[in-house]
Amino acid sequence: MITEEAAITARAQDDLRVEPLVEEGNLVEQGAPVLEMRRHLAIKIVAPMPCRVAAIRLGPGHRLSSILFFHEPGAGRHTYDTKLANRSDDPGALRDLLLASGMWRLLRSRPFGQVPVPTQMPAAIFVMGLDTRPLAPAPHRAVANRDDDVARGLHALLRLTDGPVYLCQDRSAPLSTAAVTSDRLHLVSIRASHPLGLPGQQIHRHRPATIDRPVWDVHLEDVAGIGALLATGLVPETRLVSVGGPALREAREVHCQPGADLRHLSHGLVKPGPHVVLSGSALDGREAHWLLGRDRQTTVLEIPHRPARPHWFQAALSRASRPKPLIPTAALEQAFGGALPAVPFLRAMASGNAELFTRLGGLSLLEEDVALVDYVTRAEPGITAMLSSMLDRIAAEEAV
Amino acid sequence: MIKGLWDRETVALMWLVAVFPLAIVWIHHGGLDAVGRLIFFLAVAGFWHVIFMLVRAQPPSWAGVVTALALAILAQQELGLVPLLIGTSFGVVIAELVFGGWGRNVLNPATVTLAFLGFGFPSAPWPDIIVPVGWAAIPVALIGILAGVMSLRIVAGAVLVLGIAWMMGLDMSETYPALLVGLVLLVCDPVASASTALGRWLNGILFGGLAAMFLAYWSEAAAVQIVVSAALLASLVAPILDEIAIALWLARRRRRLG
Repeated sequence: MITEEAAITARAQDDLRVEPLVEEGNLVEQGAPVLEMRRHLAIKIVAPMPCRVAAIRLGPGHRLSSILFFHEPGAGRHTYDTKLANRSDDPGALRDLLLASGMWRLLRSRPFGQVPVPTQMPAAIFVMGLDTRPLAPAPHRAVANRDDDVARGLHALLRLTDGPVYLCQDRSAPLSTAAVTSDRLHLVSIRASHPLGLPGQQIHRHRPATIDRPVWDVHLEDVAGIGALLATGLVPETRLVSVGGPALREAREVHCQPGADLRHLSHGLVKPGPHVVLSGSALDGREAHWLLGRDRQTTVLEIPHRPARPHWFQAALSRASRPKPLIPTAALEQAFGGALPAVPFLRAMASGNAELFTRLGGLSLLEEDVALVDYVTRAEPGITAMLSSMLDRIAAEEAV
Repeated sequence: MIKGLWDRETVALMWLVAVFPLAIVWIHHGGLDAVGRLIFFLAVAGFWHVIFMLVRAQPPSWAGVVTALALAILAQQELGLVPLLIGTSFGVVIAELVFGGWGRNVLNPATVTLAFLGFGFPSAPWPDIIVPVGWAAIPVALIGILAGVMSLRIVAGAVLVLGIAWMMGLDMSETYPALLVGLVLLVCDPVASASTALGRWLNGILFGGLAAMFLAYWSEAAAVQIVVSAALLASLVAPILDEIAIALWLARRRRRLG
């Protein structure tokens, strides 16, 4: 299902400084570059579908606000030359192909969760063959009958790093990886219960990310996409996206383009009444109009019945006691998946103790990894906000 | 975007639900006298909670009810009104409310109150915990552990050490009800006990070890006095136990992951 409109958006704090390679009104092939990053000119952003560029909105400093596309089926698909990238003696050509085709942006580097810089050598790459977020589509179904693509993609990843590649899979739905023979490929079988299927959990357990040893993670479907790109020279058109949530009459899964129109995806399924559309899961999603970045699900929630204004005294009491105390309970431990000493970790974050935060493994984590803690404990201010400000601080200190 | 359950007051309420069996058995056997004691401690603790709410905008907590219940069961008898007032106020205010209320305190307010009364009025007799009340601590621990507000590790550590002491010939026939009640009401406070997995084992083991040692060598002490002393010391040491647990966790991780 290709929506009529699609857009690539960024927030001001994402600081995505771009240079447009097309103009409004241009007809663009699917997969052809439309933007390049000003900081790293090699990293390109490509058109998600054959389209006409409808609008490019840039903020101050050429920061991308949004680029909007209208579907034009006749525009065709862009083909990349993969001859050099397929030669196994030249990892540089493989990087160039991924950078030019926009597939590079599907990789994510930790610490700090940015798109990796083009020259970065990861200490390990984690391929997420399962996703335990509520209502997330199962990656093994997204790559069903695409064993060749997966194998080719895994081979490509093995060429991007000298370290190990971890393939995380659902214990009850093992993937077939017989085609890949490398002692650097490690299979990790996990019980599919949240939060164990988050990349942060697995990275923390098997190969913690540090400033000197960045670790990448990538979704299994994107690995298959890299494999397909190497075989055909075409950027994959769609990804498997689940459309779900309590405000829908029924859930469904669709194959749609990146940046798809979320209203279109849930059209006709929404129950009457006010609702809010999130890109991402109910735990870590953001209210959005378009499918964001690496997200593979959209959740439609009912807007909770807004209570009458609380009594002024009640409101004053609840505002006065920030941050709210967190009580060590089994629920809190479970929300961290038992991966680290939860209460000392939270104390380190709350008190701004960056050193203990780092030693306990905080650099392997991103906001999505602690979203469940926020949900379980109703913490105020949120744990995700504390984590991201702590990571920002460490990033700023390290950059000096 | 969506919010769960386990904020501070949910935990406090679950703790309160867990101690219900103990409260009912104790009131059933204590009669009107017990009810009067409970109401007195509820009033004093509640008074201070309200004062701190009005003056410092600290929301009161249901955990204050558990504190009052622990005091009603374990506080010394035949003390006048004034010593009880002073002791309870000291414990509730200095051990809990001045830190910002339940969840930010270091020690359990009931433990501090009982220690204060024990040091201040050593001649007052400690209550005898009757056997049915002691047995009622078992459902408390079960509910608390199942709900996740008490730690299985603390209970198991304490029971393990006390069991070993009993097998080595320590006589606990008179004192075990007090040990069980103290364990669930004072030691298992989720805030004042250790918060790491290994730290909780050590916390339980330390409490059990101290209690066994006091039973063996502190002949003139009453059962409740022994429990309170062991609980106070174990709770004071809890942060160090956590530090030890974190250091060991980090060392193990460094060895495994390089």
